Amino acid sequence: MRKSSFGLKVLAAGTAAMTVLAMAACGGDDKPAQSADGELSGELSVWGWGNGMKELAEAFEEANPGVTVEYAAQSNASDAAMKLTNAIAAGKGAPDVCMLEDAMVSQFAVQEGIIELDQFGAQDYADDFVAGPWGKLQVNGKAYGMPLDSAPEVLYYNKAVFDKAGVTEAPTTWDEYYEAAKKIRELGEDYYITNNAGFQPFTAQAWQAGGHMWTVDGENLTIDMTKSEGMQRYIDFTQKLIDEDLINVRINAWSDDWNRSLNDGTLASLTIGAWMATNLKSSAPEQSGNWRVAPLPKWTDGGENGSEDGGSSFTITAQAKDTTLAWAFVEFATHGEGAQVLTDEGGQFPSLKSILNSDEFINADDEYFGDQKINQVLVEAANQDITQFQYLPYTQYATTIYPDYTGPAYMGKVRLEDALQDYGEALAEYGEQQGYTVTLK
Amino acid sequence: MAGNLGTQAVASGSAVRVNKHKPDWRGWKFMWPFAVVFVLVFIIPIFYAIYISFFEKRMVGGTVFVGIDNYIRLFGDDQFWASCGRVALFTVVQVPIMLFLSAVMALCIDSMKLHGAKFFRISTFLPYGVPAVVSTMIWGFMYGSKYGLVGSLNDLLGTNIDVLSPDVLLASIGNIVTWEFVGYNMLIFYSSLSTIPHSLYEAASIDGASEWQIVKSIKIPELKGSLAITVIFSIIGSFQLFNEPNILQNMVPGNAITTYYTPNMYAYNLSFSGNQSNYAAAMAIVMAVITMAIAYAVQLNSMKEQMK
Amino acid sequence: MTSATNHRLAMQELKAQEKAARKAERERQRRVARDEAAERRRAAKSGFANVANPRRSTLMTILCSIFAIYCLFPFVYLLINATKSQADFTSTFGLWFGGEFNLWDNIVTVFTYQDGIFGRWFLNTILYVVVGAGGATLLAIMGGYALAKFRFPGRKAVFAVIIGSISVPGTALAVPQFLLFAQLGLTNTPWSMIIPSLISPFGLYLMWIFSEQAVPTELLEAARVDGAGEFRTFFQVSLPLLAPGIVTTSLFTIVATWNNYFLPLIMLKDADWYPLTIGLNQWKDQANTAGGTAIQNLVITGSLITIIPLVIAFLLLQKYWQSGLAAGAVKE
Repeated sequence: MRKSSFGLKVLAAGTAAMTVLAMAACGGDDKPAQSADGELSGELSVWGWGNGMKELAEAFEEANPGVTVEYAAQSNASDAAMKLTNAIAAGKGAPDVCMLEDAMVSQFAVQEGIIELDQFGAQDYADDFVAGPWGKLQVNGKAYGMPLDSAPEVLYYNKAVFDKAGVTEAPTTWDEYYEAAKKIRELGEDYYITNNAGFQPFTAQAWQAGGHMWTVDGENLTIDMTKSEGMQRYIDFTQKLIDEDLINVRINAWSDDWNRSLNDGTLASLTIGAWMATNLKSSAPEQSGNWRVAPLPKWTDGGENGSEDGGSSFTITAQAKDTTLAWAFVEFATHGEGAQVLTDEGGQFPSLKSILNSDEFINADDEYFGDQKINQVLVEAANQDITQFQYLPYTQYATTIYPDYTGPAYMGKVRLEDALQDYGEALAEYGEQQGYTVTLK
Repeated sequence: MAGNLGTQAVASGSAVRVNKHKPDWRGWKFMWPFAVVFVLVFIIPIFYAIYISFFEKRMVGGTVFVGIDNYIRLFGDDQFWASCGRVALFTVVQVPIMLFLSAVMALCIDSMKLHGAKFFRISTFLPYGVPAVVSTMIWGFMYGSKYGLVGSLNDLLGTNIDVLSPDVLLASIGNIVTWEFVGYNMLIFYSSLSTIPHSLYEAASIDGASEWQIVKSIKIPELKGSLAITVIFSIIGSFQLFNEPNILQNMVPGNAITTYYTPNMYAYNLSFSGNQSNYAAAMAIVMAVITMAIAYAVQLNSMKEQMK
Repeated sequence: MTSATNHRLAMQELKAQEKAARKAERERQRRVARDEAAERRRAAKSGFANVANPRRSTLMTILCSIFAIYCLFPFVYLLINATKSQADFTSTFGLWFGGEFNLWDNIVTVFTYQDGIFGRWFLNTILYVVVGAGGATLLAIMGGYALAKFRFPGRKAVFAVIIGSISVPGTALAVPQFLLFAQLGLTNTPWSMIIPSLISPFGLYLMWIFSEQAVPTELLEAARVDGAGEFRTFFQVSLPLLAPGIVTTSLFTIVATWNNYFLPLIMLKDADWYPLTIGLNQWKDQANTAGGTAIQNLVITGSLITIIPLVIAFLLLQKYWQSGLAAGAVKE
């Protein structure tokens, strides 16, 4: 390597200034936090995404004057996960604290890329968070992440369009939803009750229907995409919507066309996580005053309507230099003052009961939603006792390939049941390659 | 300028010759900086990729040596071969169209028969300066059959054209790639045309040659030389198709762009979503061999002769 | 006969001679003019022979104009949409202006959004172009010169090795590249953007070809006979001759670096080191997540600002391609 490093030096000769810049960027302060008089100090690197993170970092620095937080904004959840995967493979380069989507936590826990938080006393806080997000962060009975936002699945709908179609009440069961879908479709060419949703709405709705697509028991996985009664219920219902052209299959979630059709009203509702309120305001400004929120429709009258879609958490990586400092930050952000900062500045839908259930939060009304007190609905959904939800230890892969299989089903080329069965087979094959023992039903 | 890309066979005789039996190392004085960086950026990673392609990293059980299992799996992987077939089709159709357009534009601009030739040269070349992220985004907006330009056309004409439907999707991607690279190839062709001495045209027209004869017997043979390099770079580019389908993915209805739409996308998703960089490495090696074999079969041979 | 008469006669004779000479000259000029006219007619017929006075073709111009519209059309789209607010962007027709003219607002917002990080990305990109593309051009010049003018061991393998290496799909190679750079401690530093930019296979090829034709070997021999070292010969004799080729090679390396996308996407984690392409991509993606805000108006305006410097560079360098071309043509 002698020659090559010499070569690099020669290349750098004309660019001495660059070198200085580069050094400044990577030569971080490696001193451990000094806990002399109990005060934290040192440098903490944090990755995250979304609004309010910068303010959170500033608030933490203010509370702990000796600490500098190096916050690096990632594009989104999958970007953060990809870069963390790389850093784990390289054995260096990971931040101290990393924000992850809840679904990704078990995957990184299994790979030992992040550390369990019970050693810092995370379990003491278990009852302070709503059950849904908290449950998703437990791997083999231990907490590996602390919940940031919570994501109860709800029904956002455009009341103006619903009214125009003659649907005066938000559907409370899926049968009513189906009837509403038909009426909205009658409005014309481009009007649909919803669009071809992605992986997370699928898991949320199928789970709510009672379908447990996968069961994780240590190194044993059971995958059942089509056989259980719950999955059959979900598949039959969705297939009916597809067959009768009641779902807009031409628009993908999160595309520009999606935003546009939310904005012009042709996409009349979404079953999606509570956090969608913030997104709606920026992507559908023209529908201000028209959108409302309702609980997720149920499969049976009086049945369960709780389900989760998304949600994110803070984790501490195995490469963290000073875990005490890292935990202090995570605690601050999720359970301390920081949680309020994120709610106020970032518009996050909190998972901390003390904020969720505060009068101020519950009674906030919102002009965008026609002065509906949307948090009442959202908080009620969040407080539902959700059957413990499980993710596969390779959710990232499952999410990525999901559209490969279901896309053709939505386009009417194959039956949804066959598509999901193939999807299950692909997941089982992958699981076996990864060393799991998989039972495919 | 970009040089006499075609007629290089002559130059070799003039290069420095010292003692035939004693190797002349002086060239390395100039070659080594490129070589060192190249080794760092390409050669070491390639050897590392070959090395890791014999292993498998499992979530349960860690990394194990699996010999050539990854390669065996690859040969039975339908998704991989489907993606190879797709880029092969893309290459066979898109590359000739793009190079034909480039050559025609180069001939037109070089003919000095255009009003404002400079304008045409710059406008053809301009798209090359647009990052793939931006150009795919713009074309994607225009392609939209509801909100895009195609949608507006449909409204106007009462038609129901959808350029993003699975049947024509590949052609729509081909259009984006063509738009991006037609100017680049045009410039290479144009440069080689402009190295033709004007006295040659004068001599030809004194001999009574028509314009078309001059094009056919002087200009087109000159283009053949630069064709070799444009074909090789275009084939490599097509086989590595990634940016355009990847960025377009979310704009296309019905998830027609799968995670294994092209070999490069497949390798990317295996590496970065599927935690299978070992299998992806095996795939990269096989793809490289396929690409090289095709590039070699098509052009490398003729180019090598010119390089002597 | 007086000398005066003689003188007068001589004068008349002289004048007559002069007149005859002028006449002859006029005739000669007329003949030349005729020849030239004939030459022009012939040239006009052949189309190519007379550089100074070619015959323009309207039909060909029209056909090429159609192609030019195809090439320029997306730019028009970008320009129009850069004038729209986010609300107008999602609600108005793509090929016409929105309700309000928002271009200046958008530009200001692009440069102030997220504490003005766009400006930082812009400066980063310029840094990467100066060091990365500059370095790539230098390496290509030296390498191309070596390949053209020396017969060194391993020379024949160079091109085959390069073609072979760039045939490996970049996305699969990204993991090994990332791991190597991580071991060298270069990830998340400007070097992870600059070092891969230093390799321009096409630039090397261009300089190889160009060196062969532009630098006469006799000139090198002469310099060596004078006792100049290889580097002095290179800098003093060869480099000036290579100038036109260098401009073209820089053009390609600048574009490649300016638009570099994939590798830095993986190497860089800190937005402070992003180049424009990755920054724009982050803005584009930021709406695609819970709690994100759609800022397509900024993405569009940012894209426009990103390509403007390259457009300007193309226009400025055009003059030099021209001179480079002339140099190539003169050489025959």
